Amino acid sequence: MIRCDGLGLTLSHRPVLNDLSWELAPGSVWGIIGPPASGKSVLAKTLCGLFTPQQGTLHVDGVEMTRLPEPERVTVRRKMGMLFQNNALFDFLRVWENVAFPLARQDPSLSREALAARAGERLRAVGLAGSEEKWPSELSGGMKKRVGIARATICNAPVLIYDEPTAGLDPVTTSKIYDLLTDLRTRHASTVIAISSDIPALRRFVDHILFLHQGQVRYRGPEAGLEACEDPVVYQFVRGLGEGPL
Amino acid sequence: MIGNFFASIGAFVLGLIEAFFAGLSIAGRTFRGVFHPRGRARGEVLAQMYQIGNRSLLFVTVTLGALGMVLVFQVCLQINKITGDQSQVGPEFIRGMVHAFVPILTAMMLATRVGAGIAAELGSMTVTEQVDALRMTGVDPVDYLIVPRFLASIIMTLVLGIYATVIVVVAGALMAHTAFDVNYAVFFVFEKVTWGDLGVGLTKLAVHGGAIPIVSGYCGLSTTGGSEGVGTATTRAVINSSLTVIILDFVISAIGLMTVQAGV
Ligand SMILES: Nc1ncnc2c1ncn2[C@@H]1O[C@H](COP(=O)(O)OP(=O)(O)OP(=O)(O)O)[C@@H](O)[C@H]1O
Ligand SMILES: [Mg+2]
Repeated sequence: MIRCDGLGLTLSHRPVLNDLSWELAPGSVWGIIGPPASGKSVLAKTLCGLFTPQQGTLHVDGVEMTRLPEPERVTVRRKMGMLFQNNALFDFLRVWENVAFPLARQDPSLSREALAARAGERLRAVGLAGSEEKWPSELSGGMKKRVGIARATICNAPVLIYDEPTAGLDPVTTSKIYDLLTDLRTRHASTVIAISSDIPALRRFVDHILFLHQGQVRYRGPEAGLEACEDPVVYQFVRGLGEGPL
Repeated sequence: MIGNFFASIGAFVLGLIEAFFAGLSIAGRTFRGVFHPRGRARGEVLAQMYQIGNRSLLFVTVTLGALGMVLVFQVCLQINKITGDQSQVGPEFIRGMVHAFVPILTAMMLATRVGAGIAAELGSMTVTEQVDALRMTGVDPVDYLIVPRFLASIIMTLVLGIYATVIVVVAGALMAHTAFDVNYAVFFVFEKVTWGDLGVGLTKLAVHGGAIPIVSGYCGLSTTGGSEGVGTATTRAVINSSLTVIILDFVISAIGLMTVQAGV
């Protein structure tokens, strides 16, 4: 589904991603973990073509993205839904308009009523029935996350990327959100990438892990194999030890 | 030390050139966007026109009203010392306002008010990833955010410029009448204003009005960092759009004097 070969990305004269190779099979569920500022969010955006890597290639569904001009990337992005780390809700639109926005772009023939109905349905699925007419600024952090998830998933895209879907949420809401993500995934058999610092909860959800440190891959493989990884950075991070290279 | 100094000057100049070409590219994309309205939000131009008018009406009235009074007062005072013939004050004042003063003053005021507003709005959308989210759904931020502001700003700069001319001339006439007993019929003489003057004045208003959203929109969209970055972008937008307006005004004045206003 997605294949990166030797990706290298420099932002403001600083290398952020370094010789990164990765392959995701259709239907697989990957978790990206790593210390802060290791390049997780940048990698997620690069996969959507929001950053253009200077080195390497990136294939999404067989299309090479890195040399594609911006207007043509849109067809590839249609296959993806993304929850941004800061939710990125449009503050000039109401909650339901936010959720319906990608759908309206994908299918301009849909009427306002049809859009509102689809958005309402998706909001019910994330447990936010009744908030349709609110503005994003009137929502709590956890509600914003769920609106973001509703917007990311409304087009039933084959690839879903969640950047910190549970950051700042309590354990109960966290497990509810993962239940929701699991449900969405099984229903549409999508390929999923989730970035999270809540490693135990994330590991219950994913079947593969990519560990990033300073833009480099330190571990890439089955979730169960993470314990056996001997890289000192991975070892320290996964066990949450105070002593070590980090 | 000296090497460092030259290196930083070099980097500054390179940055300036880079920004210039990036700005040009945004301008090009804006012009293209005007003729290919790809899913711009409905009513957005009207909403932006309201924003610009709302932000600027009182500001323009007060500033230009006061300015008209001060200018006329000073001119009449000087003339009183020399000839005492006040009959030419009105016609010359009106002509100068139409082709030179009002366009640049209105544009400078809009550069601060509107430019800062646009940069702050687009800058905070950039740092909160809303611009990325737009691109993710296949929306070009230039088409969606800058083009409506560009159209609205051209229209509103023309409207506010015409309104400002009325304000400044009426304020000037009031001052001339009350302080120096100049008859209204002597002041309100529009014969000195040629079609060339009018054309130059309106061209300036339209061009300046279009330049402000492009420059400040570019500053907003290239914001980096958090809320601090938004502050920097806003300052940059005000300075850069004012500078752009001054340069464009100079260029249009020169072209005008060589063509439509030649010999006047
Ligand atoms: N638009 C940008 N321009 C320049 N540098 C950037 C940009 N976005 C991110 N960076 C830099 O890239 C590095 C990686 O950032 P990234 O946001 O991917 O970290 P992260 O792994 O997601 O961290 P966190 O867990 O805190 O979210 C950081 O050093 C950051 O400063
Ligand atoms: Mg991040």
